[in-house]
Amino acid sequence: MLDLLLVEVWRSLLALRRYPLELLGAVVTLSLIFYLLFLGARFLAGPGVEFGGRLEAVLVGYLLWTFTLSAYNGLSFGLMEEAQTGTLEQVFLTPYGPVRLYLVRDLASLFTQGLLVFLIALVLMALTGARLSFTPQVLLPFLAVLLGGYGLGFAVGSLALLYKRIGQLLGLSQFLLLFLLQAPGEGLFRLLPLAPGAALARRMLAEGAPLDPATLFLSFLNGLAYLTVGLFLFRRAVRLAKGRGLLHGY
Amino acid sequence: MERPFLEAQGLHKRFGTLEAVRGVSLALRPGEVLAFLGKNGAGKTTTVKMLSGLLLPDRGEVRLLGKDPFRDPWALKHLGAVLEGNRNTYWRLTALENLVYFGVARGLRLAAARKRALALLEEYGLLEKAHTEVRHLSRGMQQKLALLQALVHDPEVLLLDEPTLGLDVETSLQMRDKIRALARGGKAILLTTHQLEVAEALAHRVAIVHRGEVVLEESKEALLARFAGEHYVLELEAPPPPGVLARLRALGVEGEGPFLVRGDGEALWRVLEALKPLPLKKVAKAEADLLEVFLKVVGRA
Ligand SMILES: Nc1ncnc2c1ncn2[C@@H]1O[C@H](COP(=O)(O)OP(=O)(O)O)[C@@H](O)[C@H]1O
Ligand SMILES: [Mg+2]
Repeated sequence: MLDLLLVEVWRSLLALRRYPLELLGAVVTLSLIFYLLFLGARFLAGPGVEFGGRLEAVLVGYLLWTFTLSAYNGLSFGLMEEAQTGTLEQVFLTPYGPVRLYLVRDLASLFTQGLLVFLIALVLMALTGARLSFTPQVLLPFLAVLLGGYGLGFAVGSLALLYKRIGQLLGLSQFLLLFLLQAPGEGLFRLLPLAPGAALARRMLAEGAPLDPATLFLSFLNGLAYLTVGLFLFRRAVRLAKGRGLLHGY
Repeated sequence: MERPFLEAQGLHKRFGTLEAVRGVSLALRPGEVLAFLGKNGAGKTTTVKMLSGLLLPDRGEVRLLGKDPFRDPWALKHLGAVLEGNRNTYWRLTALENLVYFGVARGLRLAAARKRALALLEEYGLLEKAHTEVRHLSRGMQQKLALLQALVHDPEVLLLDEPTLGLDVETSLQMRDKIRALARGGKAILLTTHQLEVAEALAHRVAIVHRGEVVLEESKEALLARFAGEHYVLELEAPPPPGVLARLRALGVEGEGPFLVRGDGEALWRVLEALKPLPLKKVAKAEADLLEVFLKVVGRA
């Protein structure tokens, strides 16, 4: 398993190195979106208004959103592309089984997507003058959020496997993610995917609240629960796809 | 006889209303090449996918070295496959990277995969292309690499779906040599083809597949004898009475709709003698694709 993880990390790093323009494109696009929003907000708020500490929180929220988004739709894009080019069936021939293989791929994407998010952070700090000096403990609720993101990714990946063309759905659900990440971390909202971890991270960043172990535990529980549901659905989808002969292209 | 590496019993697969595979059974022994010969749409690829755990049969079962690939994915460690119409490899990775990646994905350790990958590239004359991205390789080299990808974890069983389709003559001949060598090395190989000539060149046994069924399975020698010499196709205005039919069978005539007569001109005259004075509709020398002719007769296509 460790070798599989190594080889998956290696494979994604190779892609980054061989096609640096794609990485650059992603960094530029994602940075630009935020920067335009930032300028727009400043324009609406009028000159002289400073974001102060809020800018930092907004920026971190944005980075969390891009990271979660990639956790969410990475699997589906991969499945659609590989079904089309015709490598999917070879991937499914792995004795590890597709579920474990894609879990390992998700784990590997933590590294490569982490790199991407780090680069975007650097660019945006330079552009906006924000300083990200948050406590590293914030990474823990982030991780809980990502677990949930991967879980949702497996759920929507099931649809990708069965129906292939779900690009529109993926595009629309970006906004759903945004909603989940902004939802309050109280009451029934805590049952929503991503919400408790994201709320905890927000409180820590915006209000300087300390890391609350009970809430963190709850966030991880939430993330794991959605990961479990996602894996369950994906397992069923694999079975269905094998039944209907849907592993090859169109 | 040695125990088969791969066994399948009564495989059935239906897509909607189409019965793509109907009760296919087979056994593959070490060192043996079995050819699945049949026209396009006969159900060859569907069978290969069921054997490799990619397509769940509606009925029937598959055993890879005694294990069920649908229950126990580790069974797939014993299998390598080159699938038709697929790229089988990552076009944005080099030849070497592909082999290392798939080696590990098939259960090898990283160091072992690398060693094996280099050895294979060397053996197949691809070493100088080791660091070339697959999309820049020629079609023949891509197909060779697809074979190596299936071999990288040294599986006992190889499934090759139309392995020489679309290759230039030279690569195609090379590929044939390699497949024969792999069989000599003890691998159990199933290949599919729609060309009699490919089955003839490579197989020890041939199974003719038609409309999802194996209509004939025999040794290559028996098959060649069947297709050797002259063939005539013969049609009557009306079905022959049982007595005449019995005489035809005694003369080795096959089929019931069009009849197939094997042998030289004299054999044909003996058959015509036996038919006299029934009205004939057509007598023609079969010169087109013999497989086609055979399927018309046997498969009542
Ligand atoms: N996933 C699928 N869904 C629906 N029909 C299919 C599917 N795969 C194959 N078929 C149909 O099953 C039949 C057998 O196909 P196939 O096994 O590919 O034949 P061959 O490989 O012998 O040319 C064909 O009529 C084909 O159209
Ligand atoms: Mg086919």
